[in-house]
Amino acid sequence: MGGLKRKSSSSAKALAKSKKKKGPHLPNSILKVIANQKRPLNSDEEDDDDVIGSDDEHGGDLYEYEEGVPEEESRKNNRYDRHDNYDYELPEDFEDENVESEDDDDGGNSDNDEAEGDDDDDDDRHTRMLQSLTGMPSAAFEGESKSKPVLFTEAYPEGEFNPTRDVLEGKNVLTEEDFLAPLEGTPGYQKTSKQIARMRKDTKHVVHAPLPKPQRERLERKAVIGLVDEEFSKWVHLVKKNREAPTVYFNQDVDLGYSTVGAIASEFQPRTEFEKKMASVLNDSEVSMEDHIKDHNHIAKMRSLLFRHEFKSKRIKKIKSKTYHRLKNKDLKNSSLGALMDPEMAKEEAMRQEAKRVEERMTLKHRNTGKWAKRMISRGLNVKYDGPKAAIAEQLQMNANLSRKMNSMRDGSSSDESDDEEEFNDGSDEDTPSRLIAKAKEKTLKALEDDEVPNAGLMSLPFMARAMKKKNEEANEEAKRALEEYEEWENSGGENSKKTVNVSGRRVFGATAKVEAPKESRKDSDNFYDDSDSDNDMAGIEDNNIEPVRDNASPARNTITEAEKFDDDVAGNPASKTTFDVAMFASGSWKKMTGSKNTESKKAPKKTRAPIPQAQDKKGPRDEESGDSESEAEQMVDGVLTSASKETFEVPSQAELINRAFAGDDVLDEFEKDKEEVLNQEVPKPEKPVLVPGWGDWTNIQKKRGISKQMVQKHEAEKKEWEQGLKTRKDARLKHVIISEKVDKKAEKLHTTTLPFPFTSKEVFEHSMRMPIGPEFNPSTIVGELNRPEVVKKTGVIIKPVKFEEVNPNDEVDDEHPRNHQKQRPKKKTSRRQGKVKSK
Amino acid sequence: MEVALEDNNLMEKVLPPDEQEIDVELEAKEKKYLRGEGANLESLKDKKLKTQLASREKLYGKSAKAAAKIEKWLLPASAGYLETEGLEKTWRIKQTDIAKEVDLLSSKNQYDIVLPDFGPYKLDFTASGRHMLAGGRKGHLALVDMMNMNLIKEIHVRETVRDVAFLHNDQFFAAAQKKYSYIYARDGTELHCLKERGPVARLRFLKNHFLLASINKIGQLHYQDVTYGDMVASIRTGKGRTDVMEVNPYNGVVALGHSGGTVTMWKPTSQAPLVQMQCHPGPVSAVAFHPNGHLMATSGKERKVKIWDLRKFEEVQPIHGFHAKTLSFSQKGLLAAGTGSFVQVLGDSSGGGGGYSRYMSHSMVKGYQVEKVMFRPYEDVLGIGHSMGWSSVLIPGSGEPNFDSWVANPFETSKQRREKEVHLLLDKLPPETIMLDPSKIGAMRPSRRKERPTRGEIEVEKEVAIEAAKSVEMKKKTKGRNKPSKRTKKKKELVENAKKTFPELEHSNIAGKKRRIGEDAAAELPASLKRFARKN
Repeated sequence: MGGLKRKSSSSAKALAKSKKKKGPHLPNSILKVIANQKRPLNSDEEDDDDVIGSDDEHGGDLYEYEEGVPEEESRKNNRYDRHDNYDYELPEDFEDENVESEDDDDGGNSDNDEAEGDDDDDDDRHTRMLQSLTGMPSAAFEGESKSKPVLFTEAYPEGEFNPTRDVLEGKNVLTEEDFLAPLEGTPGYQKTSKQIARMRKDTKHVVHAPLPKPQRERLERKAVIGLVDEEFSKWVHLVKKNREAPTVYFNQDVDLGYSTVGAIASEFQPRTEFEKKMASVLNDSEVSMEDHIKDHNHIAKMRSLLFRHEFKSKRIKKIKSKTYHRLKNKDLKNSSLGALMDPEMAKEEAMRQEAKRVEERMTLKHRNTGKWAKRMISRGLNVKYDGPKAAIAEQLQMNANLSRKMNSMRDGSSSDESDDEEEFNDGSDEDTPSRLIAKAKEKTLKALEDDEVPNAGLMSLPFMARAMKKKNEEANEEAKRALEEYEEWENSGGENSKKTVNVSGRRVFGATAKVEAPKESRKDSDNFYDDSDSDNDMAGIEDNNIEPVRDNASPARNTITEAEKFDDDVAGNPASKTTFDVAMFASGSWKKMTGSKNTESKKAPKKTRAPIPQAQDKKGPRDEESGDSESEAEQMVDGVLTSASKETFEVPSQAELINRAFAGDDVLDEFEKDKEEVLNQEVPKPEKPVLVPGWGDWTNIQKKRGISKQMVQKHEAEKKEWEQGLKTRKDARLKHVIISEKVDKKAEKLHTTTLPFPFTSKEVFEHSMRMPIGPEFNPSTIVGELNRPEVVKKTGVIIKPVKFEEVNPNDEVDDEHPRNHQKQRPKKKTSRRQGKVKSK
Repeated sequence: MEVALEDNNLMEKVLPPDEQEIDVELEAKEKKYLRGEGANLESLKDKKLKTQLASREKLYGKSAKAAAKIEKWLLPASAGYLETEGLEKTWRIKQTDIAKEVDLLSSKNQYDIVLPDFGPYKLDFTASGRHMLAGGRKGHLALVDMMNMNLIKEIHVRETVRDVAFLHNDQFFAAAQKKYSYIYARDGTELHCLKERGPVARLRFLKNHFLLASINKIGQLHYQDVTYGDMVASIRTGKGRTDVMEVNPYNGVVALGHSGGTVTMWKPTSQAPLVQMQCHPGPVSAVAFHPNGHLMATSGKERKVKIWDLRKFEEVQPIHGFHAKTLSFSQKGLLAAGTGSFVQVLGDSSGGGGGYSRYMSHSMVKGYQVEKVMFRPYEDVLGIGHSMGWSSVLIPGSGEPNFDSWVANPFETSKQRREKEVHLLLDKLPPETIMLDPSKIGAMRPSRRKERPTRGEIEVEKEVAIEAAKSVEMKKKTKGRNKPSKRTKKKKELVENAKKTFPELEHSNIAGKKRRIGEDAAAELPASLKRFARKN
């Protein structure tokens, strides 16, 4: 009964489906009636529809074909291990679990009944088989099988949670009608039936059967891939940009929090009661920080003073000398008491002290009787060190001078200056040049007069004598010229020639002039020194003591000359010495040179040195030019001036030319030979195969055959290689050049042996290396960019994961702008922060 | 006539120049700073490398552009020049004429220092041109500050002085004297006596390498490191005595001129000359190098001066009619040649080095023998050392108008000088970096052996061999051996034989290599892992 119902419902469903397409729409009740009563009519229609149709053909057999229970499950004779059948699954559209009919059970039983028959057959066969196998009577086995007359195909008894196979396979399914039928006639029936009808019509909301799992999963995967792709493709440009960027920056967010304790303190907010109290006390107190610091400093100072005083007093306290204490007490009494008692007395005292000091100065100074001098002498420092020695010497000197001065003043007669001058022979005196000249004149005359030729030794040899004579003549000539010059000089007067006098034959351009200038300045300074220090003092004293009848000049001069002498003796300026040497050297030579030349040559460098006004400077050379060009055209020395049109050089004769051209006649051949040699060294020529006597022959067979073919071939190959080697040389086509192709082992380390990784061709690599990237070769604006590392980050900065941002894929990777942006931002930040800290 | 000297007369352009013109100029300058073209990136397969190199190239371009702009707009001074009108010739212009035209500061550079006693003078300038060293043959050494014409120090060594040379700055100088050469400090103190070199004829200092190179009387070339005093190399040239020696400022290669008319070039790390050139049929009297290192000028006694291109080692231009005792290139490429009492300055009209022609001339007093000419760096001044002292003349357009204070600073303070010294020492190049083409440093090592034949070459060879085997004429044989079947068989055999030689070689090579690789891998592994090494 139940089975029939079930079937009819399914057929009705199918009918409804078909009706949808084909026939007119019928009300639900009619359809139901049709389905229930006129089943046989429809059977033809559904003939080839499905299994149900085939069932109908078998004369309304309600039970369907059922697959045999699998052998494992049937547990035939326990041949198989017992295993639980969990292989059930609820169909998805199995909605109602609660509904269960008794019929089902019955059906199941009947099923089993039928299956029993089959089983009996099987058992028979089985027992037979056992009999044949074991040889035991069948009765022995019979009992076993009979003891279990009912076999359950299902693993578990049917129930709420164990639906029958039919249910599982989608047959015998309950329909809405099944549920509605009992409700017919009840008040809400119409409504619900209508609703159900509507539901049926509504195909959109029909939930189709799910697709098989693999297919479903494939579809799911597809969908997911699409989604994921979309999600990821958003990042592609960003990632690509980052990958292609020559530099990745991680210095954007470098806010590391507080950098200093001060920064932390500045942010501090009082929270607890205690803190608040403290804050109020601190903020509201009237004592400012500056005052506090001042106080602190003051206290510290006082303390240190006290400490020092204490120390001192301790030390003084320790002194046990009675005299010291007595004197000290006396002093104390005198000074404090006296001064306190009577100001006049104090004044007197001061005056007395002053007078005493003056007296002491008068008497003791310059006699090595001063405190300092005594100490120096007693300790022997005057011998040991130059400074004190000089100072003491100076004091003595001064003393001598002064005493002499005093004596002379007493005598009233002037000292003879000439003696002094002759002694020191100084050039600073105005009269000296003339005297010098006179002396020189005398000497030259003397030299002119005595041309004695040595009679013996090397000089007496005839050619030496001749040479000497020649030289003498020359010397005489020069001497005469010099004499003339002297006279001329004397005539003209010694004002302007002051400078020339200093130059003796040697044309000095820098050093002598330099030496000269300081001399004058030194004089000045000496004078100044004397005046300020000793002279004035002495003068003052003298004025006090004796009537001033002295002219100021003579002492001054004396001091100068002496000082200079002293200078020369002690210091011995090396520069001046060398120039002096050079000068000597020069004057010893026999070159003739006019005086005017000297002055000229001297002028040139001086021009540049001296800060003379420009106009004058410019005038100089022109004047010279005009003057010289007439008189000494041939002997002109100054190249610049004579750069006139005298480009005369002799055209050498033909013979001379040829001689010169072919000076080294075989030079070219030699070079060729050299080249051959070098080539042979670097690309050795293969040796010709030769017959080695005794090799490969007993008799004369080898001689007849000649050199073996192999050897000849080998030689030829070698020769070819050699020629190739010669051809590939750089100097193959340059006849006049030998370029060494020796490998410099030391320089090999400057080359790479293999191409660095990403490069695959030598050319590309070498081209990429052509530009230097150092700061010496590139503008400073680009150097940083050229040498930037791949990753820019600050130490300690946490690198955050990439954030999504829109990137235009068509944009080229622009390295510049982000960098500037990023670079400057953190700087600003830090500066701002610092500012904050400072302000607070 | 119009004369302008650098540093002083800033050329004022009346017309604002067209922008296009500027662009062209900038482009030319940019090209110079790009130092050649970039590699062809199209041929690259590696995309990553391609993008990397492209971005690199972009940066290089940027750098070159910036440099060009700086040169165009920020370098203040323009080079001096000499302009003639009508029939005037530049070489007829005298120093006196120039003196009238130029400003005072420049005219101060025209002078003669007459020192007849210690005769012919050698000169040397520091790199900045601030200081000059003059060495008289008879022992007079003078160190002069050229800026204020201040004689810093002069000493007399009382023996022959053959050559003088500054070391890296004005603080030290070397003098080649009669028996030994000496190093002096600025104040004339003798610091070192270099006895190992023997009597030196010429001294040159290699600034970047801190090497003092010298050639002595017996033709030995010595390189001494002045930083730690080691003799880096002593080379026997084997070409006899010479006193012609010059350093190529571009690569530090020393050139010697020999009596056989050859010029040889040397580096300290090889005993054999790098290059030998037969430049003249007669003795070589002087050699000079252009500052860019590509041009060399030589002078032979056969009254010829030749200009050589050192990239090709070819003669670019012969100049007939005079021989020079001394040659010198200026920073801007003018060539000064001194003979007797006559100094000629040649200018390059073409710019490429091929068109040297007369530019200026200067004759000194007859009887003066020019010993040495040398352009003062960063000034339009030519220093001439001669038998009667030294002279200084103006050659407009000879010096570089703008100095780079990182390279050479004429206005250097002592602090800067000290810092520079430290930098120089840190940047000192080892002696092995001296080579003909220093731009090759860092490149791939040139292969020592001949390269193996490529696959294509092998295939071509194979084909040729097969063809040859096929076209072999068969002998006519008798006794049934001349059958067509036999003949074809024989021919096949020949071809097979011809084929066999080639692939066999290849395969054996590859197999051998594979095995070797496997063995290497096995050998490299630690003992415990050796059993896991792949066995071939």
